[in-house]
Amino acid sequence: MIVWNRACRSARLSTRPPNPRRCLSQRTLDRLAEPVQSYISTSRDPYLNLSIEHFLLQKSAPHSAILLLYVNRPSIIIGRNQNPWLEVNLALLNPSGHGQPETEPPGLGAVDLVRRRSGGGTVFHDEGNVNWTVICPSKDFTRDKHAEMIVRALRSCSVDRARVNERHDIVLDQGERGADIDSRETHRTPYMMAEADGIRPLKVSGSAYKLTRQRALHHGTCLLSSPNLNIIPDYLHSPAKPYMTARGVESVSSPVGNILLDNETFIVAVQKHFTKLYGTTEDAIKVGDEWREHDPVRKGEDELKAGDTHSKFI
Amino acid sequence: MSFSPNTLLRALRTSKASSRTRVSFPQPLFYRQLHASSRLDVVKPFLLADIGEGITECQLIQWFVQPGARVEQFDKLCEVQSDKASVEITSPFDGVIKKLHYEPDDMAITGKPLVDIDIQSEISGADAEKLGGVDGNEDAGAEKDQAEESVRHDEKLAEVASEVDVAYSEAMTKGSQGQARQHRPRQGREDKGSLATPAVRHLLKETHVDVADVQGTGRDGRVLKEDVHRHVSEQTQQPVAHQPSRAATRQDKNAPLTPVQTQMFKTMTRSLDIPHFLYTCAADMGAITALRKRLNASATSGEQKLTHLPFILKAVSLALQHHPLLNSSLDTKDPKKPEITYRGAHNFGVAIDAPSGLLVPVVHSVQDLSIVEIATQLRQLSDKARNSKLAPTDFSGATFTISNIGSVGGGVVAPVITAPQVAILGVGRSKLVPAFDENEELVKKEELVLSWSADHRIVDGAECARCAERVRAFLEEPGRMMVEMR
Repeated sequence: MIVWNRACRSARLSTRPPNPRRCLSQRTLDRLAEPVQSYISTSRDPYLNLSIEHFLLQKSAPHSAILLLYVNRPSIIIGRNQNPWLEVNLALLNPSGHGQPETEPPGLGAVDLVRRRSGGGTVFHDEGNVNWTVICPSKDFTRDKHAEMIVRALRSCSVDRARVNERHDIVLDQGERGADIDSRETHRTPYMMAEADGIRPLKVSGSAYKLTRQRALHHGTCLLSSPNLNIIPDYLHSPAKPYMTARGVESVSSPVGNILLDNETFIVAVQKHFTKLYGTTEDAIKVGDEWREHDPVRKGEDELKAGDTHSKFI
Repeated sequence: MSFSPNTLLRALRTSKASSRTRVSFPQPLFYRQLHASSRLDVVKPFLLADIGEGITECQLIQWFVQPGARVEQFDKLCEVQSDKASVEITSPFDGVIKKLHYEPDDMAITGKPLVDIDIQSEISGADAEKLGGVDGNEDAGAEKDQAEESVRHDEKLAEVASEVDVAYSEAMTKGSQGQARQHRPRQGREDKGSLATPAVRHLLKETHVDVADVQGTGRDGRVLKEDVHRHVSEQTQQPVAHQPSRAATRQDKNAPLTPVQTQMFKTMTRSLDIPHFLYTCAADMGAITALRKRLNASATSGEQKLTHLPFILKAVSLALQHHPLLNSSLDTKDPKKPEITYRGAHNFGVAIDAPSGLLVPVVHSVQDLSIVEIATQLRQLSDKARNSKLAPTDFSGATFTISNIGSVGGGVVAPVITAPQVAILGVGRSKLVPAFDENEELVKKEELVLSWSADHRIVDGAECARCAERVRAFLEEPGRMMVEMR
């Protein structure tokens, strides 16, 4: 790695200076080789954030571990091979195109629909939801590893009800407090109720994965304080579903709830637990619109935007 | 960074050339003598490895290669998706892609072939496990997950050298956790506690030898390559068992439902809601048979010969005039408010055994047809069925069904009612039985069993029995039919 960097640097010095519009700073590229990296996005654009995430997956050093945190403006993210006609109420997405006044419920205005590159189901992102991504070597990856890390981060913010469930999602148990359990146990809480007792735990985070030969990407949502909980079901319920059979992965829907934590607290806790898991790193690096200047990121963003033409059918 | 597999294998090749003595490598990487497999210049199917999480199939999203494409080790082949994970699959070998086994959006099954590769590199025993046999033998697939794990233990070389170039996290995690379970007995057909390394198993498959038949001389009774070769040479002196061909005929075969089967499946699944009861009675067909003989004798052409079925249809229609409940339709769309509709017309569905399966075309308005007309209609329908010329209108509007299974055979049958009808009649095969006449003397009688099924939510036993007895009376004395005809 170090040899490559030096060679790269000397090569750059000997040629003309890099075109500032075409690539990121040398420092940024160097950092991709570091063993532990932590990023936080300042952009609210879902296309850019997903594109940066994909760039980090492809360009980071094979043995490095990376954390990326980002928040999106209201948007719906569907999985790699899902059918938007089945998963989403497409009519609600672009109300202005319908002659429907924008003040009518749900009243969120235009909501983006983006297809991410990992698998899994459909989720609703807004400013009360923080997305976390961990990229690590495939060898070390298990589905629970980072979900447990997030649960530990939540527990350190006094969210005792959080645990990892069988589907590797993070849920809040709704029962009454029972016998005490070791707080390091991330798959059980004192508030667990039996399935038969009726009240299901509320899902606060769902995960999806993309596995390549050397790298594994695990990303998930986290519903902290979304103001839109009551209208999420309207967006994620397709009126066409009973009339269609289609291929593609179906979402498994669960009742959702807010953790009621503010974004900053959660972000700091996750960063802290990430460094506990993987080792120390410098402060989180801010990424944002300036990354659009980098060719691979811009190309990735264009791919995401062009990928689906269903929104144009409306 | 550890060695790349190519450099290792190149090192092996040079050392192999010198002698067959034990090759020593620096500890702690390799602790076992390596049986280097021979180079394969043959097309082999590359199987879809286990992704873990109990997932047996995943959807193929896109291909990165086409048949004829040259791939190197670690080139991307395709992307598959299972529930939440999107996984890129890379090639473990250099070679040329020969055939893709799936289209995008198909469900790829773990353990089954994914692509056929013309392998042009050396492969280790570990990689051999990822392949199926050349003859499409899919035993490897059945034990793939166990084989994957045991590969990790038995062939440390592969684990270190190729950096476990499988992208499936769960398989690897299980592998590292299972360190202690080195010689766990493998499940599947080869599980009789016989131990053999994957390279040896590959040889066993190629020579069509069952591992249980081979006497192992290695550590813990392990079967070695020399044992297999010895076994094969012994076998050639004895008659060879015909196992491969028999095994081939005993294979299970998956098939989708034919259109007729699909329709039958749908219809009969709906019929599961109906509580059936069965009422059978035996009618003496002597009179009808005698009548038929006389009429057919004077028939001018073969076309006009009558069977007993038109008589039965007419008899049922006349009986239904007295028992209209059995010709009704039950509407259960609202389970709390079921509705009966008494149908005016007697449209009888007649079950026909066509080449494509069971078909039930309809003879409309039997109450208005004479027996000869019924016979003509039946003949036309069965001709159309044989030539697959039945139209959808021929199937619609049945209010009652008659199934003449007697053309094939049978005595008492329990026919299944088709919703929304409420009854069905199954006709068996008439046969000669001994019986007593009015003088209590033994005579021959031609008996035909009529089996009625009715929907017990609407029809009670007595009503069905009365209708059945009326039909029997019509058949035993055709004159009764004549006086009721309009």
